[in-house]
Amino acid sequence: MAMDVRLLRIDSRLLHGQVATNWVKAAKVDRILVVSDGVAKDELRKVLIRQATPPGTKVNVIPINKMLRVYQDVRFAGLKVMVLVECPLDAQRLIESGIRINSINIGSLSFSMGRRMVTDTIAVNQTDVEAFTWLHNRGIQLETRKVSTDSKRDLWKALRENGLVKKTV
Amino acid sequence: MTRKQKIWEYIQENTSNKPEGFTTSELVQVLGLVRSNVSKELNELVRENLLVKTSGRPVRYLLDEKNSAIQVKKGSMKELAPEIGESKQSEADVFEKIIGWKGSLKNQVDQAKAALLYPPHGLNTLITGPTGSGKTYFANAMYYFARNNQIIAADKPFTTFNCADYAHNPQLLMSHLFGYVRGSFTGAAEDKDGLIQEADGGMLFLDEVHRLPPEGQEMIFYFMDHGTYNRLGETVKTHHANVRLVCATTEDPESALLQTFVRRIPITIQMPSFKQRTMRERLQLLKHLLVIEANRIKKNIRLNEDVVQALLGSVTYGNVGQLKSNIQLVCAQGFLNSIQNKTEILITFAQLPPNIKEGLSLLANNRKELGELTKMLEPAMIVRPDNDMHVIDESGDYELPYNLYEIIGDKAAVLKSEGLDQSAINNFILTDINVHLKTFYQGAKKVQTENNLNEIVDQEIIDITRNIMQELETKYEYSIGSNFIYAMSLHISSFIKRLQSGQPLRAVSSDIVEMVKEYQLEQKIAEHIKALLEEHYHFPVPESEMYYLAILLVSLKTAPTSGKVGIVVAAHGKSTASSMVKVVEQLLSVDNLKAFDMSLDMSPQIAFQGICQEVKEIDHGNGVLLLVDMGSLSTFSDRLTASTGIQVKSLDMVTTAMVLEAARKTSLIDSDLTTIYKELREFNGYSRQIQIPEKKVVEPDKIVLGDKRKKIIIAICSTGKGTAERIKGILDQILVDNLIDDIGVVPLSVVGMEKEVRKLNTQYQIIAATGIAKPNIKVPFISLEDLLQGGGEKFIQMIENVGFPALKEAEALEKSDTLTEETAQQYLDQYFTFLNPHKIIKILWDYCNFIDRHSDFDFTNSMRISVIMHLGGAIERELLGSTLSISDEEGTTVEKNSNYKLIKQANEIIENTLNIKLSEAENFYIIKLFDTQIANA
Repeated sequence: MAMDVRLLRIDSRLLHGQVATNWVKAAKVDRILVVSDGVAKDELRKVLIRQATPPGTKVNVIPINKMLRVYQDVRFAGLKVMVLVECPLDAQRLIESGIRINSINIGSLSFSMGRRMVTDTIAVNQTDVEAFTWLHNRGIQLETRKVSTDSKRDLWKALRENGLVKKTV
Repeated sequence: MTRKQKIWEYIQENTSNKPEGFTTSELVQVLGLVRSNVSKELNELVRENLLVKTSGRPVRYLLDEKNSAIQVKKGSMKELAPEIGESKQSEADVFEKIIGWKGSLKNQVDQAKAALLYPPHGLNTLITGPTGSGKTYFANAMYYFARNNQIIAADKPFTTFNCADYAHNPQLLMSHLFGYVRGSFTGAAEDKDGLIQEADGGMLFLDEVHRLPPEGQEMIFYFMDHGTYNRLGETVKTHHANVRLVCATTEDPESALLQTFVRRIPITIQMPSFKQRTMRERLQLLKHLLVIEANRIKKNIRLNEDVVQALLGSVTYGNVGQLKSNIQLVCAQGFLNSIQNKTEILITFAQLPPNIKEGLSLLANNRKELGELTKMLEPAMIVRPDNDMHVIDESGDYELPYNLYEIIGDKAAVLKSEGLDQSAINNFILTDINVHLKTFYQGAKKVQTENNLNEIVDQEIIDITRNIMQELETKYEYSIGSNFIYAMSLHISSFIKRLQSGQPLRAVSSDIVEMVKEYQLEQKIAEHIKALLEEHYHFPVPESEMYYLAILLVSLKTAPTSGKVGIVVAAHGKSTASSMVKVVEQLLSVDNLKAFDMSLDMSPQIAFQGICQEVKEIDHGNGVLLLVDMGSLSTFSDRLTASTGIQVKSLDMVTTAMVLEAARKTSLIDSDLTTIYKELREFNGYSRQIQIPEKKVVEPDKIVLGDKRKKIIIAICSTGKGTAERIKGILDQILVDNLIDDIGVVPLSVVGMEKEVRKLNTQYQIIAATGIAKPNIKVPFISLEDLLQGGGEKFIQMIENVGFPALKEAEALEKSDTLTEETAQQYLDQYFTFLNPHKIIKILWDYCNFIDRHSDFDFTNSMRISVIMHLGGAIERELLGSTLSISDEEGTTVEKNSNYKLIKQANEIIENTLNIKLSEAENFYIIKLFDTQIANA
């Protein structure tokens, strides 16, 4: 038995305001795992994340390899967690290495040069599209919601409409 | 005619001639009676409300005006006011003064009345309820009710006995309760009555009755059945007493008391916990407790809505008692901060200590309750002193034995005359308040510590260890550290377990035997402990165990984990040094200070020898800080270290403030000489360093980044077996809780510890240590006691910082004033698509400034970044027409939040400049953001 990943969310801002208020409650988790090689070394962002954590919930900021290690570790079996990653590629890495999940929630991917807006909060580049394609081909649902009460929107459809991915059957 | 009648009639007849009243001496003279008898009868008459007495000397007795036609002059009425106030208590039903008598305590009050009024002698009663729920208070009320209804005569006492006070010594407990006869045990020089006899005709309150040993419970229930008992050393139960018995316990009576005992108590009154009481009652309790403080301070107390909410929310395990302590704490702080204000003290949310602040978010977790409370609250609450308020006397555990406010006032005056500025004064006194309240609650804390130890060691063993500890202290005057109880009980526990499971005994190596020979005293004590254990368990303890006990004693002695750094103050002048030390000792009640006064013509050599002496005396193994008045003396430190072997560091230009700061710092746990020295050097600019820069200390065990050895924590125990394994279990759990998977725990015996540590160090990377002794290795150490008392979090922080030296960026952020608009702008730029950070930053910055100015919470830099980022998101969402949604239930709570108005006002900044109106859902998330950030600040 491994950890129980209740929610895997991609959000370039990781844990912040409405994510903390809304998703932690909705997903009914014991713990938030912010998985990012960069942030695990960035004390400043760690502080901002800790500050944003709802009182009574625990948060850990860990690099990807540690996430993979603790996921299989029997000592943490059954722990109900919400995993936050910064980009689709990190999500792909986790799933490639054995983390089991059927659906991924995408919050926001911030825009910068070389990216393209596909919804009002999500901007992608070629690397992202490749990662999303990999995930989609594995049968994983890609849905976009800012908060849990929003209705689910299919990101794959948005990518297709923007001509970024070809129709698959 | 009795003596009493004689006195009473004389006073009645002669009152018209002496309206000012009679003194005892006058009555002794005219009536020809013995003085002690007269004064006894007079007091009796006062208690019966026939006479009143004046305050002032000599005391005069006169007729109570209610019982006489004679008018007492207005002036003296005032003096009499307290007595008259007291007599009010007798008139009404005291239970009606208890908050909740018609509400959540209605059943309890009915039960109590029934128990007291049940013919012919009432029923014995057991009060149960969690810590601090008011069991003692309720028992007091029962007593007054009984007295006012003539069930108990007015002169009969309410006797309280806390069974936990003597729980480690059943014999002493029983002798207190039942009395003893001469010669029944060593030290029983004469016959003595117990509390049962003292309480004859009155009420006896046995608190924490589950700590009464079984034989005590048996004696009590025999007494309940027959009304007779025997004193210790008597064989026949010939003594008789008529006592109403009220017992109390926090435990489940079915499991914590003898069944035979419980069956004899027909009435069990269950006190509700704080959370079980209605919100209205909780608020009433809060107001009532505040009025008590207002009466002490003699000023109004003003608190804002959020302070009231935080206080109510801060109550967790400790119920009303905890509320009372918390109120005392915040009032003491408020009193200090408003010391200049003659009429009012102000308590603001920002001032509250973190654990009370947290109450706000705890309360907010329950929306229904929060809503209910908000309806009852005004934005500000003002509590005025009320001397007519009814307070049931209670000498319970939550009562401070002195007037804290007077102490604070006095100390502030002393410090001011010493020339300290206000912020420094506040700093010192806050430390002091904490010390006072801490020592005051130590009783409760001790129990808690033991409970934690209980998880791994049987109570029986803890009790034995406690006995051993007492004997060592009294018989051998052997000084014992606070970790003794831990180390010794763990050792005994594992030894007993091993014997019982039939495991082979440990052989003693010749090394150990040789080593013990050098420690005569410890050997003797170890033999004594061995004898005590044999006596208790009725089986022979092998000789080898004596050696291990001796080794344990030696290692406990040589490795003090909490010895304070000593301070020596040396200054020229007749009493310059000693007067500074005196002031500090009085203010902080510390004992690690020494003064050395020098005359101006004293030769340096004499001065050196004198200081040397003081240094040796005050050193507890953790080094000594030398504070001197002139630079030349500070060169002594190296010489002192060379000649005493004690680490000494010196600072010059000593002032009282510096000594205070030094004493305060050394009294904190985990403070070592080097740290204190470094901090003091920068202390407020009062001092400057004149010493040659220190040589860099080479730390041999420094963590090297990229070290591939497996990381371990070592847990040190007496044997490294049995108990140590269980401690490893506790540590493993703490590691799992913190999601740490790559650190192992290695249990280790204290015997041969240093050698083993060196060996482990070649194979593993030792990153921290815990246990009963501190190994000589440069890694963070936490004592077992601290660890079991919830120091787990701290421990994890310590080990998480290992390997990440100097990553202080985050701290720098909070401290610097350099969080600028540009920095925040960069963040916005990075994450948002449509916003123009350059244009919008000014508006969001003003938004934060507005909130900062109009709120009383601490607006930290990291909070500012979070708020700016969130608002950026909210504005972008409004522009795109895709705002966040909330549920209806969430929507109803928005307006009730204490920050709602403020945020609405701040939103106008955005409305007026950008013409964007944020939706109610966005407001909800902004409010939540503030709640979370404040709670985490």
